[in-house]
Amino acid sequence: MSYFDNKVPPKREDRLKAVIAHQDSIGGLAKRCDGKGGKSCLIDDGERGFTQGSICLMLPALAMLNTLPDNVVLLHSAIGCGSCTHSQNANVRMGGNARWGKVKDAVWLTTALNETDVVCGGEGKLEQAIIEADRRYRPATITIVAGCVPGIIGDDIDGVALKIQPQVNARLLPVHCEGFKTKIWATAYDAVYHTIGRNLLQERGVSAAQPEEALQALRTQERLKRTVNLMNVSSMGLVDEQELGRLLTAIGLEVNVFPVFSHPDSFVNATRAALSVSTCPTHDDYFLKYLEERFKVPYLLQHMPIGIDNTSLWLRDVARVFGEEERAERLIAAEEAELKGALAAFRPLFAGKRVFVSAGEFRALATARLLQEIGLEVVGIRSFHHDEFADGEYRKLSAESKSDYVVDIANVQPFEESNLLKRLKPDLFLGHANGNMTAAKLGIPTHVIYNTGLAYIGYKGVYELARRLHRQLSNPIYNENLAQNLRLPYSEKWYAAEPFSYLNTRGGASNE
Amino acid sequence: MSDNFIERARYLCSLGGAAGTVTALPGGIPILHSASGCAGNFAWTQNGGSGLQVGGYCGSLTTPSSNIQETEVVFGGEDRLREQIKNTLEVMDGGLYVVLTGCVPEVIGDDIFAVVSDFQSAGVPIIGAATGGFRGDSYWGYDLVLQALVRDYLGKGLPKVKGRVNLWGVVPYMDPFWRGNLEGARRLLELVGLEVNSFFTPADTLDAIKQAGSAELNIVVSDIYGQGAAALFQERHGTPFITLPLPVGVSASESFLKAVAAALTLDFARVEDVIAREKRHYYQILDLLTDCYNDMDLQRYAVVVGDANYAVALTRFLADDLGWLPVLTVITDQVREEDQPRLAARVADLASGFQTNLVFETDASEVLGHLNRVWPRSNGQKYYNAFSPAFVVGSSLDRELAQSIGAAHLSVSFPVANRVVLDRGYTGFRGGLRLAEDLLSAIVANR
Repeated sequence: MSYFDNKVPPKREDRLKAVIAHQDSIGGLAKRCDGKGGKSCLIDDGERGFTQGSICLMLPALAMLNTLPDNVVLLHSAIGCGSCTHSQNANVRMGGNARWGKVKDAVWLTTALNETDVVCGGEGKLEQAIIEADRRYRPATITIVAGCVPGIIGDDIDGVALKIQPQVNARLLPVHCEGFKTKIWATAYDAVYHTIGRNLLQERGVSAAQPEEALQALRTQERLKRTVNLMNVSSMGLVDEQELGRLLTAIGLEVNVFPVFSHPDSFVNATRAALSVSTCPTHDDYFLKYLEERFKVPYLLQHMPIGIDNTSLWLRDVARVFGEEERAERLIAAEEAELKGALAAFRPLFAGKRVFVSAGEFRALATARLLQEIGLEVVGIRSFHHDEFADGEYRKLSAESKSDYVVDIANVQPFEESNLLKRLKPDLFLGHANGNMTAAKLGIPTHVIYNTGLAYIGYKGVYELARRLHRQLSNPIYNENLAQNLRLPYSEKWYAAEPFSYLNTRGGASNE
Repeated sequence: MSDNFIERARYLCSLGGAAGTVTALPGGIPILHSASGCAGNFAWTQNGGSGLQVGGYCGSLTTPSSNIQETEVVFGGEDRLREQIKNTLEVMDGGLYVVLTGCVPEVIGDDIFAVVSDFQSAGVPIIGAATGGFRGDSYWGYDLVLQALVRDYLGKGLPKVKGRVNLWGVVPYMDPFWRGNLEGARRLLELVGLEVNSFFTPADTLDAIKQAGSAELNIVVSDIYGQGAAALFQERHGTPFITLPLPVGVSASESFLKAVAAALTLDFARVEDVIAREKRHYYQILDLLTDCYNDMDLQRYAVVVGDANYAVALTRFLADDLGWLPVLTVITDQVREEDQPRLAARVADLASGFQTNLVFETDASEVLGHLNRVWPRSNGQKYYNAFSPAFVVGSSLDRELAQSIGAAHLSVSFPVANRVVLDRGYTGFRGGLRLAEDLLSAIVANR
């Protein structure tokens, strides 16, 4: 039985034994990964006795859903859930404009469950909301996104969708984002892919080809044999999609970008491609395994095309599937030579500079390698979680590292970071959105590690990131001024304590 | 407006408003007792709606949060909260800690006040507020935090001090111009010699907030926000309150000062002097615009879309100060029926005699329909009195409307995604000049 036969996808702490609270070093993690023969890292997850807020799976899920053209997001939750869309809307507007030359706001609605609904249940309200949303917006799909409250009071969004579906034109897609149920927010990708897999991959209205269309059909089939699904769950902007498209086209392939900014009616195309290529296992493993199982579309899920070596590894993997190794090698050699030449101008400023990297696990690790490739020295990494997919990346980094630097597995937790940064005093910090503020107020030059308006991916991404870091380091006074005039809210006592003092202290226990 | 959903709600939940409010207090440390994602949701929302202002001394992802999970849902989360508070006191350096609850612990019935009270007994400056998201919107969250301060933090039985007032009604982050607006309103009151406790400006301190009970009057510049707390304040500390609209621009500021003067029986001649001086200054500055305002025909029809504070204040400014024609005023909050007449009264009797059409509508996509009802569309006739030249003053969600009717646009009310706001404010006489600059600049931007 497939996970996709269930209403709700499993959480990642169960499916992948993913963890969010762990202290280690780059060598330590590489060794752990080596020692256990391919299975998960076998780290028991810890719990912190002091925690700071982060995000839940609803936020990345909405980041995907809001980009879908002709989709209406209907939040079944208290009034505040989904207000994050106010910032995601910028990505929707700019992404839409970049792709179609048209600026359009996302449409998101909320049933705004109130005190009465908490007592009496909100299913009736949800039913009416679906019907009205269908009439008012005439969308292709309505994604019904459940927050914490329906998860506790027991509203059945799948049942409601099933019941109301015959009354509406839009296809109804339940998405489970009850935040308290998983601490691994990457479960978001599974939650969205789960509803796509269950609802949007069936062929609809396909009739037998007429004779005069046979040639066209043949051509399509030939094309599909060379078409790859390029998975993007919103971690790449158009500029990055185009860079990977450029590389894949250069070895003779066609690209179907999926699922962000794709029309829900076109999702079925993903089942017809010759191969699915991920740029990040954290995003795609759940869905790609399903696409293979159910539709026999094989997949690649190994390297993230960030950094020179990783981009080349990623491209080689794809080329091998299509027997295009030679073409790929020629391309890689030319690209690497050209890029390395172009990077030379930046190297003097980077030489001897020490950098701390923080992001989702795979992104942090791949970016750390990139930074070493352009001449910086990595002195610390904070990964938002850990699972087995990153084993190879820890090994790569460990083999290249100058020191056995710290790795903090933490769902952000900037208090640990503040303590670490005070000790490490890096010259540069790369962090996720909302994750640069601590380093910035400590006066460290910072750069955002993910922003859909900027280039990060492929060979061009290496150059563009290096170019931006060079700019940043050429005048870092903004953050220095902040540090001289602002303070972080942490006590002196905390800075004096060990950075991992609160790890594994939850519930008064001290289990390590 | 739908009975079944809110489109693109222009607010967070009460927890979101409460968290922003505590962050805005001097030395305020919010401690969320909630699921792990609430703090991040607020940070992303501020990023998209509050004029690029996120966090503060202790906000965004720095906010302590108990991050409760399924275990706590089953067994209760009070022990986890106790542990989180104890450790927060070690790690975070603050002047006032405020425990705020999200949906999950409230639905499962955690008693945070029992936990908080243990720490209070030990002398910790800590209070709590039940702000579960299903209780209401972020404006109500602001009110709930003020209520908690009134109930559990302010000194009790303090003698009233002549000329001391508290200023409420501007909600941090939900009004992207909160810092400038508070300072502008504060400055107005200081002009007539009052000592102002505004809670959230750099001039405010926790010590002064503790003494807030000594004020002789509370001034709430909102018909909705802070009303609950002001009533509770009156009951607990015996200080009466007056409710006035947000004083945006010259005529509103004049009425504001006169109303305050009447409530406090200030020396009226002195107040008149201040008003005359400020008006002289205002018109001396405005003077130089006279040629271009007339020659470039800068008068506009307008649609005003905003929260309960802005919709009425901006309408009045446009009609009475700028001489524009605000034909439609849309209040995007979910305003209770009993509160609607008070807001309607704010724009019913404008000095210019201009009459807007007021509607209560939460959904951006419905505003065009309201406009079509009050200003019928052309049916192709040769001579048509068009809704042009037009301006939409609203939020960044109202850009599509502006585009569809060919109007210029300025984002003022939440969400303001397309402007950077630091300490700009529109209150007071000088705030009117800022607003005139911003509106007219939007018209001439491509000149």
